[in-house]
Amino acid sequence: MNPDKLLVVKDLATTFNTSAGPLPAVGGVSFDLNKNETLGIVGESGSGKTVLARTIMGLQPRTNVTVTGSVLLNGHEMVGVSEAEKRKYWGTEVAMVFQDPMTSLNPVMRIGKQIDETLRVRLGMSKDAAKARAIELLELVGIPSPEQRYGAFPGQLSGGMRQRVVIATALACSPKLLMADEPTTGLDVTIQAQILNLLEDLKEQFHMSVVLITHDLGVVATRTSRIVVMYAGRVVEIGTTREVFTNHRMPYTRALLESSPKVSNPSHTRLVTIPGRPPNLLKLSLGCSFAPRCAYATNQCHQQRPELQSAEEPGHSFACWNPLPSKREAATQ
Amino acid sequence: MTDTTQPLLKVRDLTVTFGKGHHAVSAVAGISFDIFEGETLGLVGESGCGKSTTGKALMKIVEPSSGTIELEGVDITNQKGRSLRNIRTRMQMIFQDPISSLNPRRRVKDIVAEPLDCWKTVEGDERDVLISDLLNKVGIDPAVYGNRYARQFSGGQCQRISIARSLAMRPKMLICDEMVSALDVSVQAQILNLLEDLKNEYGLTLLFIAHDLAVVKNVSDRVAVMYLGKICEIGPSDVLYEAPAHPYTKFLLGAALEADPDSPVHGDVLEGEPPSPMNPPSGCRFRTRCPFAQERCANEEPLLRDVAPGHQVACHFPLTIQSSAVA
Repeated sequence: MNPDKLLVVKDLATTFNTSAGPLPAVGGVSFDLNKNETLGIVGESGSGKTVLARTIMGLQPRTNVTVTGSVLLNGHEMVGVSEAEKRKYWGTEVAMVFQDPMTSLNPVMRIGKQIDETLRVRLGMSKDAAKARAIELLELVGIPSPEQRYGAFPGQLSGGMRQRVVIATALACSPKLLMADEPTTGLDVTIQAQILNLLEDLKEQFHMSVVLITHDLGVVATRTSRIVVMYAGRVVEIGTTREVFTNHRMPYTRALLESSPKVSNPSHTRLVTIPGRPPNLLKLSLGCSFAPRCAYATNQCHQQRPELQSAEEPGHSFACWNPLPSKREAATQ
Repeated sequence: MTDTTQPLLKVRDLTVTFGKGHHAVSAVAGISFDIFEGETLGLVGESGCGKSTTGKALMKIVEPSSGTIELEGVDITNQKGRSLRNIRTRMQMIFQDPISSLNPRRRVKDIVAEPLDCWKTVEGDERDVLISDLLNKVGIDPAVYGNRYARQFSGGQCQRISIARSLAMRPKMLICDEMVSALDVSVQAQILNLLEDLKNEYGLTLLFIAHDLAVVKNVSDRVAVMYLGKICEIGPSDVLYEAPAHPYTKFLLGAALEADPDSPVHGDVLEGEPPSPMNPPSGCRFRTRCPFAQERCANEEPLLRDVAPGHQVACHFPLTIQSSAVA
């Protein structure tokens, strides 16, 4: 195995067995993540971002779900192993920051205890040592007067402060990989900027890799080195952030970028829209999932699913039969 | 397009206070603004700044504590009962959560027809034609979807139905409270374009309340920025975004993330969090987080004043004046 690869995901598929039939929430995803890298995963609701993150963590439900493929986390296989086995890697190898800071903390437990718990159970620290470290962590994530806040309940803190506590808990055992699932959704923009800066600083400090999952293209634009674009449970484009933003080949990526309003545009700029809405995962067609909404779709698109193919730039691939012209092609025409 | 003589909606010194005594919270602490016919005023601010309460107070869903609200020259602040209901046909509101603002067990065409059936303005065939027309306008095929229940629709479609319902009485004004914030970007773009089309077609005037700066700029002619219950800056949207005069506006814009890898990063990040509205700072409410705050900011509350025609700011040391003084 390449020692620079911290995470190797191969053909990962998560299917929920629902009463209406199998629902492929994640349908065969492959990517890898280098050490000390920040990777963004973007997509709209229902594109499978969160299920993908939870499957990588091994947090899928115990029943009515089928996971196939492989997740190699620092050389450890996470798919198909027992919970006891996975628990060995939670906290120390991989930790997760969930979307909703309001509900990811126990409301009737003092925040200090929630950080302590991880330290004592996972690292076997003594009570006093764990408390000292917890206060250190609270200070590290920018919580003012950490000694006093140690005894506070989550309800006494604002959303931004709670997210800092969640981050402190995730970092307690110095994980090598931090999965941040919409860490700033629901926070105000000024607080969002604070939290994103904090994550970036901590990534350097803890020598971590970060997977940043978001629906907000603005969040990933300047803070990731590579981006994965997901649609209907599959990767439709992957590449360096710059390539994906400026030289995307998949029509969906372009549509996603063009449909978000921009502060730099003048008022009343007409937005480019994608007709229709994301497909029902229970009734996926054989072809490209985006074909029904795509302006370039041909017969082939409706009948045959495109696999990821390499673009000119190394590491940049896209899944499309009729890709947009690349910058180089456009220049020669 | 803009009638500058007489505003459609005139708000003066509006306050909304919840609770009594030392538990009192002034969610809206004395704001004044005008909205002229045919324009869109954007209202931005972070959570808890009072933007939604402002919208609700204008609709009299929450009772204003003091101040006046005039719609089309009529003081509606103390209207009650039937006269208030009459006024609400002129001014409608669209809420944030499209799914919970529709009754899941009612059919789409009945939801849209409700205002018409209450007021009996049109009846019989004329009513049915009007409903079909409204649903067509918002992109919902009445023949296919008219008899379906609200619960069978996605968020974006529910928001379309909400829009159709709000337009049934042909209001002059729409108050849109975070109407696209629960939607995905691709659906958000559809709804924003739809709103723009309907605004032109029906000659609507909009108060567009949202926290997303890019969305607000896209729809608004003028923008008002709120912080802790007060308006700190109001001006034409292009001017306000280009050259913000209030330090808070500047930080807010600096924190907005642009979907562009070349956009400048790590601009100045505003430290701290907004103080509690139960115990607001003396003088300027932003002074506790403002890097330019001076003694005067603590002692004297800055009032909205003109920095340019139509551009007002509530700051003792507005940025545009500072920079021109340096230059």
